[in-house]
Amino acid sequence: MSTERVATAIRDSVAATGSLRISGRGSWLDAGRPVRADSTLSLREDSGVVSYVPGDLTLTVRAGTTLAEVADITSERDQWLPLDPYGSSAGTIGATLATGSAGPLASSFGAPRDLLLGLEFVNGRGETIRAGGRVVKNVAGFDLSRLLTGSWGTLGVITEATLRLYARPAVDRTFVIDLGGPEKQVTAIVRAVVTSPLAPYALLLLSASAARSIGVSESPVCLIRFGGNEAAFKAQVSALSQISRPQEMETKTWLGIRELDGNAHSTVRISSLPQRVVAHAARMLHDDIPFIRTTIDPRRGILRIVVESDGEGGSAELPGDLHLTRDDGGNASEVIFEKLPPDVWSQVSPSVVSDRLSQGIRSAYDPHRVLNPGILGD
Amino acid sequence: MVAERLAEIVGPAHVLSRQSELLVYNSDGLPGYRRQPRLAVFPGTRDETIAVVRFLAEQGLPFVPRGAGTGLSGGALADDIVVLGLHRLKKIISLDIENRRATVEPGVVNLRLNKHVAPHGLLYAPDPSSEAACTIGGNVAENAGGPHCLKYGVTLNHVLAITVILPSGEIVELGSRVGERDGYDLRGAFIGSEGCFGLALDITVKLTPKPQAVRTLLADFTSVDQAAHVTSAIIASGIVPAALEFMDGATIRVVEDSIYAAGYPRDAEAILLIELDGLEAGVVADLETVRRICLDGGARQVRVARDDAERMKLWQGRKKAFGAMGRLAPHLIVQDAVIPRTKLPEILATIHAISERHSVMVCNVFHAGDGNLHPNIAYSADDPAESERVHKAMVEIMRACIEAGGSITGEHGVGLDKMGYMESIFSETSLNAMCELRGVFDPERRSNPGKVVPIHACKEWHGIPGSAKARAAREAPPLEAEPSHPVAT
Repeated sequence: MSTERVATAIRDSVAATGSLRISGRGSWLDAGRPVRADSTLSLREDSGVVSYVPGDLTLTVRAGTTLAEVADITSERDQWLPLDPYGSSAGTIGATLATGSAGPLASSFGAPRDLLLGLEFVNGRGETIRAGGRVVKNVAGFDLSRLLTGSWGTLGVITEATLRLYARPAVDRTFVIDLGGPEKQVTAIVRAVVTSPLAPYALLLLSASAARSIGVSESPVCLIRFGGNEAAFKAQVSALSQISRPQEMETKTWLGIRELDGNAHSTVRISSLPQRVVAHAARMLHDDIPFIRTTIDPRRGILRIVVESDGEGGSAELPGDLHLTRDDGGNASEVIFEKLPPDVWSQVSPSVVSDRLSQGIRSAYDPHRVLNPGILGD
Repeated sequence: MVAERLAEIVGPAHVLSRQSELLVYNSDGLPGYRRQPRLAVFPGTRDETIAVVRFLAEQGLPFVPRGAGTGLSGGALADDIVVLGLHRLKKIISLDIENRRATVEPGVVNLRLNKHVAPHGLLYAPDPSSEAACTIGGNVAENAGGPHCLKYGVTLNHVLAITVILPSGEIVELGSRVGERDGYDLRGAFIGSEGCFGLALDITVKLTPKPQAVRTLLADFTSVDQAAHVTSAIIASGIVPAALEFMDGATIRVVEDSIYAAGYPRDAEAILLIELDGLEAGVVADLETVRRICLDGGARQVRVARDDAERMKLWQGRKKAFGAMGRLAPHLIVQDAVIPRTKLPEILATIHAISERHSVMVCNVFHAGDGNLHPNIAYSADDPAESERVHKAMVEIMRACIEAGGSITGEHGVGLDKMGYMESIFSETSLNAMCELRGVFDPERRSNPGKVVPIHACKEWHGIPGSAKARAAREAPPLEAEPSHPVAT
């Protein structure tokens, strides 16, 4: 298993005018638009540490390394990679970067693009390219690392990545606040938490159905994760107690959040101005629609809606009345579809790369359209 | 004819075409390189900028976007082509305090944005040492950093959206003002493109709440090695200081002799300037940990600034250190390599050995927390023998940093200065991939031609017909072949 194997597979596919479905552990292949490919190139076996110098807080791994493996390796040195994308820890670093997937920790530590220092990838001509480096700060050359992150494998197959790590905090504890009260009260609590000087690692609001599905509560809740030194932790819990009555939860509750997608048939993410999200949060949390699990990251302005199959082959409709998506003087919300039934894509979001620049870049990096054709649209 | 048409767009006062007037624009903050522009144009509004870019596109004329000219890579130099200066575009278009973001024109000065948002308890985190003069547009072009980027990240991490005018005159929106967007991260690709992909008409940045508490410490050491080891120990402890800056004895004494004297101990061989910020309780606890690490590592003294005035004074010495070098000699050359942080003690020893071997005085003042070195040498470019020694020492220092697994530039950019090193860290296919990306944004390679990636590394490059353009496309010689001839700083 090596970069050369990936390069050979791509060159062979070009020669045979074929196309490839790029896959990590194959744990999220139902996301994105349907891919028209005649074979799968899996990076499952291409895993392991290339370089880990704990004193530098940097880690270089092969793309098929899973998030769980990274967590194991780094925790031995009391460090971690603060990435908690939706899905499970069985997902790979390569897939996390390729899809740019972020979870609740992103509001403090950034999205994958912010933690990525350098990449090796193979483009659609089978050429190996390195971007960035292994140091924590680098502006040498044009930023191909950012370009590849979130490109869903369509510009190149990521084979290796260098990431920035953090030291594990002395304290990492999680609390829950009940948001089952009237809307006005909930809005006041959310606003107070968001505008307070509190600096939690993660802050996530869950609708009743989301809270129920991970066994936290029967009503909407706010999950809040504090990390840092003991003194900072105590001060924050004390400040939070002025706003509401926090109950401690196990930190592993967050693992449940990552698996909220479960048997979802549709997942939609809406990015909006944080204060607009805060203003609408209470109403959205109280819409307790069966089969629809909503989470809100008010600091990032992200609303994520997971629509579950109802088990009888049918499905709930996506909530149509999303006040958030209204235009507001050039600040219209962005609607990002992660997962939809295959036949729906063409009506809802046929392509996100139809602009001239994206098309030009695609043509330059994958001129024969070998890599994941169709996943971002044509 | 070109000058007349440009004068019609921006007004005659804002077009310079006399060689004497253009002298000011023949270098940037790194005067080792000089290129004389053909003419310079300074639009005053967004519409004028669009009209200028479209006129240049019609005429097929290459140009170099320029902010305040404080860059340290020779990146904003125009070799007999047009300088397109954007410093007059200085409107803060909108400020959204609730959502902590601002939209600004490219010519807004970094510090001015900070002063504008400060009354609202907010700040714009990237803080290059040239913050009092450099522009946000320039910061975006260079993906600028600064001391506080250790904790807060560089420009890349603080820009949400950019309205870009491509060299063709086409206007595109990159990124999203509200937050996230689907599709390729074209905003990420544009940031740090050093003016080669077009120019920003407006930039929407994230603002950061001012920390509840800030503490600034000054630890002084009798050896460079001790300070380097303490730096590594602080990073390894897991505390992320807001800033962790290093100054060696030579730098300390130059600063103390200058008008920027900050009260640094003159007999120290190294100091660390460490800033911690965050929640009051957490900062107080971290302060004690850091103090202990410093003292255990051999610090003679750890002083904590008592108030804002003392804090500002300590920072002033650091931020103006390059300026203070002017006392030593008329010319200055500075590098920007980044090394893995655990290699700091070893590399500083190597730099010392190189400086001894070539009989030059290297001053080290840099962002130790992220391993971003700024070795600099003050010297006289009028002395050819000294210039030669300085040049050789700088090349050896860069080679040592590359061998240590580092990068050639952490925040200043490649420009002309470091182009000769690009092939030392990137393969032919990697450089070609960069050329291809550039080719999509600027197929004619008219925006800041001849910078960042050596042209011979671009497989698709066939040159542009026409003498002016061909000249513009001329490849800068590798650094080894062109010793710097810095002029006054």
